[in-house]
Amino acid sequence: MARSRFVPFGRIDLPDTRSSIGAEIAGARPRVTAALVAQLRDIDLAEDAFAEAAATFLEKGVSADNVPAWLFTAAKRKALDAVRKRTAQAKQAAGSAAMVSEMSNVIQLPEAIPDERLRLIFICCHPAIALEVRTALALKVICGLPVLEIARVFVSSEPAMFQRITRAKAKIRKAGIAFELPPRKAWAERLNAVLLTLELAYTVAYQDAAAERDGELAGEVSRLANMVAELLPQEPEALGLGALVALARSREPARVDEAGAMIPLSQQDCSLWDGAQIEYARGLLDQASEYARTGPYQVMAAIQLCHARRGVDGKTDWAAVLKLYDALMMMRPGAVVALNRAVALSNAEGAAAGLAALEELPKDKLRSLRPYHAARADMMIRLGRDEEARISLNAALSLDPPSAERRYLEQRLVKLG
Amino acid sequence: MQYMLMIAEDESYYQGDDAEKRMEETMGKHMALIEEMEKAGAYVGGHRLQDADTATTIKYTSGEGVLHDGPFAETHEELGGYYIIEAADLDRAIEWARKIPVPGNGAVEVRPVWQD
Repeated sequence: MARSRFVPFGRIDLPDTRSSIGAEIAGARPRVTAALVAQLRDIDLAEDAFAEAAATFLEKGVSADNVPAWLFTAAKRKALDAVRKRTAQAKQAAGSAAMVSEMSNVIQLPEAIPDERLRLIFICCHPAIALEVRTALALKVICGLPVLEIARVFVSSEPAMFQRITRAKAKIRKAGIAFELPPRKAWAERLNAVLLTLELAYTVAYQDAAAERDGELAGEVSRLANMVAELLPQEPEALGLGALVALARSREPARVDEAGAMIPLSQQDCSLWDGAQIEYARGLLDQASEYARTGPYQVMAAIQLCHARRGVDGKTDWAAVLKLYDALMMMRPGAVVALNRAVALSNAEGAAAGLAALEELPKDKLRSLRPYHAARADMMIRLGRDEEARISLNAALSLDPPSAERRYLEQRLVKLG
Repeated sequence: MQYMLMIAEDESYYQGDDAEKRMEETMGKHMALIEEMEKAGAYVGGHRLQDADTATTIKYTSGEGVLHDGPFAETHEELGGYYIIEAADLDRAIEWARKIPVPGNGAVEVRPVWQD
């Protein structure tokens, strides 16, 4: 059953989102594809049909008041044709034939598009699919990000990534991953899988300040996170993650200087921050707090919101940040959280206290993390221990930082003389 | 759809002083599970297997088979039994798989059965 074929170049996966029509098509994609998947019960068929409908829309310069509805109807027609062809070719099982007749009944204009996005997210982020593949699958199927882009984000080759996505789709089909929305009682585990998927995508999108590799990705991750928050307004952690991603987005204009060097959060010009994103995040967190069920994503977002307050108060309330990191350590103990807590401590109670906390952490895990060396260098500089700062900066530089971070680290080295 | 639930367990859990009692407990839970599966119309079949040291494997190299004393993979967890169940989708199959008693270390693999 070689239904998916690898067409490396030439196929239009994603219209040019820089044009307004392209953006409209990209915006319609999640809802339309999800509705198609729910009806067709076949991800490949739905994706192909959407791609064909979008291509027709662009080629013929269709003018439609309601672009999503036009795409939905056109894509269903394309899918219907494809199924007919397939059925005729293979004289296939009764299932497909039944679907054809069922679908001929429903195709009429104009029609409302049922909102099946949550269902599609639950399918793509099923815990039976490996975490890193879930993100790739969601970016491909829901956002329509080209495989080449996804491969670059995950530092993989296009054929290898294509194969992973194809394998995941095959597993969905063959292992019988449900096309139904799971019952409410099963949501906890599934929601965790969804949030973890988004968190991974978020981490990948924001690890590089200059966004050289993944400018597109940050936009798509934010689209997905907003979607999940909108679809699950009664899940405080989904709102928390939505807020976290919005706060990261708000800083995009302030993260890099003219020389292309990363600007750390504490030195960013907060007049460049996007106030609308910050307000959106604050709204989500307020909404989440009404449920009085706190969790790691809400705490992480609250920390970032504390930093955002510098735009209003002119200073950062490091004592509050430290308290939040203490709370996060209880929920999600780990080397990176402990490292960030030490940085908060160094700002709340002085570099000596921060360094003492840092030196207590188990080194074997931290040694390979650039933020550890960068934080240590920062504390050493503040303590006037330049030689040790130099060693730490060089250690961070030896860990292959993205270019914006490398330039920043080099600037610091130069300043040390 | 039909799924096979394969149970791999660390056999050492059922050895030693209270081996018999431990096995009795686990078997009792299996019996209760089978009853529950039958009631739900999910049970198709299943068996407990003899210990892995009773296994004989024919190992093939380029189609040439040679007998080997032992299971096909040397791991800490040995295939100890299986169920074949009927379930609407993977989530339902996993729900059943989670009910299989594994008191020590082990794993339960959920695999769809090939269907034409």
